[in-house]
Amino acid sequence: MTGLVWLCRRETLRVSKLWTQTVLAPVISSMLFILVFGLSLGGRIQQVSDVDYEVFIVPGLITMGAVQAAFANNASTIFQARFDRYINDVLSAPMKPWQMTFGYTIGGIVRALAIGISLLILAVVLVDVPIERPFELALAIALGLVLFASLGLVVGIYAETWDHTSFIQNIVILPLTFVGGVFYSVTVLPSPWEELSHFNPVFYLVNAVRFGFLGESDVSVWLSLGVTAALAIPAYAWAQHLFTTGKRLKS
Amino acid sequence: MFRDDPPALQLRGLTKRYDDGTLALEDFNLEIHSGAFFGLLGPNGAGKTTLISAVCNLLRVTEGEVLVFGQPHDTMEARSWVGLAEQDINLDRFLTVRETLEYHGGYFGMDEDEIEDRAEEMIRAFGLTSKRDVRAPKLSGGQRRRLLLARALMHRPRLVILDEPTAGVDFELRQELWDYIRRLHSEGTTILLTTHYLDEAELLCEEIALIRGGHLIARDSADGLREHFGVNRLEDVYVKAMAS
Repeated sequence: MTGLVWLCRRETLRVSKLWTQTVLAPVISSMLFILVFGLSLGGRIQQVSDVDYEVFIVPGLITMGAVQAAFANNASTIFQARFDRYINDVLSAPMKPWQMTFGYTIGGIVRALAIGISLLILAVVLVDVPIERPFELALAIALGLVLFASLGLVVGIYAETWDHTSFIQNIVILPLTFVGGVFYSVTVLPSPWEELSHFNPVFYLVNAVRFGFLGESDVSVWLSLGVTAALAIPAYAWAQHLFTTGKRLKS
Repeated sequence: MFRDDPPALQLRGLTKRYDDGTLALEDFNLEIHSGAFFGLLGPNGAGKTTLISAVCNLLRVTEGEVLVFGQPHDTMEARSWVGLAEQDINLDRFLTVRETLEYHGGYFGMDEDEIEDRAEEMIRAFGLTSKRDVRAPKLSGGQRRRLLLARALMHRPRLVILDEPTAGVDFELRQELWDYIRRLHSEGTTILLTTHYLDEAELLCEEIALIRGGHLIARDSADGLREHFGVNRLEDVYVKAMAS
């Protein structure tokens, strides 16, 4: 288990050494959303689901900041390690494949939690966001982070250039997050957009997190958690499969 | 005394075919006894790095068996017995010299106190004291090469694999590395060295294997090879073996 502990430490160290890029910058950009969309425009937007708009958007913004960080962190850490080939130090070490998968997953989760907790503290101070259902909130965050941290690993392992990792981040994850109900309730969308939103996996994660904070969401929290879990488990299994077989990691 | 131990390395029918169809090693058999200083010579593409990567679990073996001190190479025990200094510099850009050694020790299961002491020992032994808190990208080429070797030795491996350790280094550092490697061998460590420098192989290695196109052409001491090929110089052995 010593190897696993040191790999977790290494991945956490990377996040802390680069904290201005890995934590501060995403917190500032998410705070700008709260300030601009919430506090500035919030007065002109009516309440959403009986909640002030600046409070309504906080769960989605925390989700967006955290999952993007979990993905980006793991995609870049594993790609960099492959690109510079210092991953060989880990691949040749007496560590089991599950320890390598877990160790590399941790960095993204730690970074996402650092961002999420920072945003939560700021949101409580600025807009007094409540936490109505802490258990469901913790479960939703855990599943969401496992899903996106694992996807980051998989993409970082398959990527052949830096562009591949940023392509998935900017062309897939970011748009799905934006149209996943971060800034609005999908119930206000006209048909077929409301129905189409239900095919967006991020929609369920945002709603599960929103339920944890506000106690209400557009769909059942158990459906949201179920969909997120149904994606998180195979994503992690995929990353594990790559470490077990060495596919794309070993020639 | 070492000859009573299981062989440091046994390759049985080792075959590696890459995804693009390239056959890098074919039914390759080799045994290196414990405590040996063994050299592997061959041109680029002969299969030297493939062989090393197979031993160190850095590639997916197509067929065959690799045993390290009698244990399958992918077991935790066998992995902990091997130290590798690769041909290309592959240092973690986020870590300082000290951290590079400490994290490597951690990955290889050393305990915290041992890691600290051993890292300091390695830093001193390789003349990196003034650079201990400097990150790898800010080191000179020679310092990176030293750190690479220090990292390979950090966890006190029984089998040290050096893939062209002196490629592109200056004369002074080459002598320095040779001295260190010789000392290591005299302490009982088995060394597997690949090199393009024939003088280096002759000077350091007790036994040399010549490989070409994924096949073993010949193995013997430098004198034995000269006798076998009926020439006076190792260069001529090499030329003859590669042309045969």
